[in-house]
Amino acid sequence: MSTGLGEGVYEVFARKRRGEPLRHIGYIDAPGDELARVYAWKTYDEESWFEMCVVPRGAVIPVNRVEGPWAKNVPEEADGP
Amino acid sequence: MTPAPLARHILSLADTKRLLGIRYSDWLLGSPSIETGIAASSMSQDEWGHARLLYAMLKRLGFDPFEVEHERPAARYYSAPALDHPFADWAHFVSAVVVVDGALSVALESFANGKFALARSRVPKMLAEEEYHRRFGTAWFSRLAAAEGEGAARLRDSARSMLPTTLAWLLPGDDAHDTLVADGHVWPEDRVRDRCAQLLQGTLATVGIDLGTVEPARDGWDPERRRGPGAPAEEAVERARGDRNRDLFVE
Repeated sequence: MSTGLGEGVYEVFARKRRGEPLRHIGYIDAPGDELARVYAWKTYDEESWFEMCVVPRGAVIPVNRVEGPWAKNVPEEADGP
Repeated sequence: MTPAPLARHILSLADTKRLLGIRYSDWLLGSPSIETGIAASSMSQDEWGHARLLYAMLKRLGFDPFEVEHERPAARYYSAPALDHPFADWAHFVSAVVVVDGALSVALESFANGKFALARSRVPKMLAEEEYHRRFGTAWFSRLAAAEGEGAARLRDSARSMLPTTLAWLLPGDDAHDTLVADGHVWPEDRVRDRCAQLLQGTLATVGIDLGTVEPARDGWDPERRRGPGAPAEEAVERARGDRNRDLFVE
């Protein structure tokens, strides 16, 4: 997760028009939420986005797969009922 | 020849943006991370785009934009003195984003709310883009200030060094500027000071700077260029004019 610069990874989501689904367009490294917003906007500025959001990679919880960039976020298996 | 107050104002804004773009571009490589370099690149291009729009406004006032952009010597640049030389280090870069880019934003906001129609229609989009420069500067300044030590000391020293001349650039306090205020093209000095304090004071306070105690440095004031003595370094002006591409210009 860390880049060695005190930074974290943020996933970037965006949509071009109101009503379209947000889609994952990439990720950036940033040392905090505020710079993550700036870096995402400046890095993925090839489109005129209607909306863009960033999500800390650590907050993305995989649902059906246990490998890939979010693998570390798989919760401990919940106790049964 | 001394330009009329409105033309001097536009030249001052445009030249400062052009030089700021060059200074930002010096850090496309060598900044603390890839994302920071990309942001510096984008901010650099923002500044050049804004400069072009501002130079184009001069056509309405009887100037030849090509001559203004590509023919003037360094001694006839109207840019803020804080940009005359390259930034010494990353703390210097960050200070310039807060102080010089911040002052530019205040000047533009004032101009966008004045009587000049082209400013009213074109400057608001610049201000929207400048909002990301402000966020970048504030976040980086706070980060370096919080780390204390050498980085915070360099941040404080570089901000202190550029504030007096930048305040003089923002608040010329001369007859031409008084005319600009009287004609309703820009805000009066007290309103500019208030807005400047609103935008910058919180950030500058993190390294112990009180904006209210900084006096504009107007020694050797040049009323034609709306700045103190000196000029941007020749190498930067060659880039600003596009000297090496002169044979390839396409308008």
